[in-house]
Amino acid sequence: MDPVSPSWGELFAHGIGGQKDLPIPLELTIAGAVAALTVSFTVLAIAWRTPRYDETNGRPAPPRLVTLVGSRPWFYALRTLGMLAFAYTAMVAVAGEDSLINPLFGIFYVLLWVGFVPVSLLFGPAYKAISPVRTINAGFARLTGSDPERGVFEYPAWLGHWPAAIGLYAFVWMELVYPFATELGPVRLWLAIYVAAMLVGGTLFGNRFYEMGDPFEVFSTLVARMSIWGRRGDELVIRSPLANLANTPVRPGLVAVVAVLFGSTAFDSFKDSIRWVKFIQGDYVQDHDLGLLFGNLGLLSFVLMVAVVFTVGTMLTGVGPEMRRRDLPGQFAHSIVPIVIGYVIAHYLTYLLEVGQQTIIYMSDPFSNGSNWFGTANWTVSYYFSLHPSLLAVIKVLAVVTGHVVGVIAAHDRAIQLLPKKHQLTGQLPLLVVMICFTAGGLYLLFAA
Amino acid sequence: MRHALVVLALVVSVTGLAGCGDDDSSAASGGSDKELPTKTIDVTFEGDDVTPNGDRVEVEVGQPIEFVVKADTEGEIHVHSDPEHEFEYGAGTTTLTPFTIDKPGIVEVESHQLEKTIVQLEVK
Repeated sequence: MDPVSPSWGELFAHGIGGQKDLPIPLELTIAGAVAALTVSFTVLAIAWRTPRYDETNGRPAPPRLVTLVGSRPWFYALRTLGMLAFAYTAMVAVAGEDSLINPLFGIFYVLLWVGFVPVSLLFGPAYKAISPVRTINAGFARLTGSDPERGVFEYPAWLGHWPAAIGLYAFVWMELVYPFATELGPVRLWLAIYVAAMLVGGTLFGNRFYEMGDPFEVFSTLVARMSIWGRRGDELVIRSPLANLANTPVRPGLVAVVAVLFGSTAFDSFKDSIRWVKFIQGDYVQDHDLGLLFGNLGLLSFVLMVAVVFTVGTMLTGVGPEMRRRDLPGQFAHSIVPIVIGYVIAHYLTYLLEVGQQTIIYMSDPFSNGSNWFGTANWTVSYYFSLHPSLLAVIKVLAVVTGHVVGVIAAHDRAIQLLPKKHQLTGQLPLLVVMICFTAGGLYLLFAA
Repeated sequence: MRHALVVLALVVSVTGLAGCGDDDSSAASGGSDKELPTKTIDVTFEGDDVTPNGDRVEVEVGQPIEFVVKADTEGEIHVHSDPEHEFEYGAGTTTLTPFTIDKPGIVEVESHQLEKTIVQLEVK
């Protein structure tokens, strides 16, 4: 019952995973867009007028939980888990077969990328808790007798999340544009460069580098802003996700991170549309060998479009004397995070569940020789959501629209905090229009792709 | 409180609209045991070009799909369903073995040599 190993060129235009989701039906697309529109203006009209969310929100977590989570054994257990995962991944990257049944591809493109989204939503900053690169850095620091918290230099504030934004772009470029993304060598190289960069960063700037510049940690921690777990000083608190989101620290590069996440997911959707496939395979592109160029342009355009539209939308408002217009995009960036999460769920749900299950099956056979390390090699994948396309379509639209609603509420609260009284309603309109465009655009891509 | 009411209204309205929407294909296919007609798709390879060139074709779950390939050289077609299907063809006209797809979704059918998508099967 050995699955056929696909040959070299087969995976050219194709990622991992077999079938894709059906497009959502038109009625549902329109219903979703109308719901988003209605709720947006309802919120604008009737929502509160004094800011609600700040650091004081939240009640202390149960004491037993606080002790558990703060204890050394817990810390070591999670970091050990991370190191075991790292060791396994390194093993299959170096010694595994160059074939699609090597679990590395599923680990890299599904579990690491999409898997951390639900885990972070439920449990808080998950990648930070297990981060193997932090552990390795701490190990090196101990060996050389220095403190992993402090590096050679202080992390420059102006750098902010830009390294993470670049790292995330490098990931999505690999996933969506690079023609050899499903070959072992390139993925192995990507991971090697990632680890090297993270270790250099950790040496130079200490642990703060990971908080600011590790693409996976920044992604996971940002998604975790929509969980109930927060910190008030050093205290573990349970907070409304909206309050947690509102306390997202604003740093340079935050807008870039959000733009890469949203733009790349949108481009992933767009790539499968008939229009794009016919264009890329059409005579013009093929005769001039421009496939790769247009892939690059496509991804870059989507990311830039999100960044520019969002920046303009937030800046098109009157400001008081204390606030600089330039600071507005960063102040509102947190309100796009729910929209990103909603869209990621809509786009990648079956991918995560079905290809994720398949990856867990492949993980029992790391060297593709028929073994069964963890006992999962003979499991079968449950295709529940694929077999219920109507239910799946409803879930997708609900995810996108809920993300939109949460985003609008977050933006509203920030607007009444920042904008002078006379601009509080009119100042929100451009950003509201931007969000409606993002949501409608997202729904359209789910319909047309 | 208002927030909760708004979200609730949203959930109810969207779910209601979904209820009026298309039937579950799994519910439909479970009930029907009738023979589905074979879907024949003509594919023509000429040099580096293939027709169809990325079109979408609607098929039903469990419907036999047959490719009739006219080609100037031999090659392979890969169907990216779960599980995958691979077909080889020679120069000239070949009728490939009919196959079915048992799950709804979009299935890409690619030419191995040209690295192009021939059709996307929209399985409902």
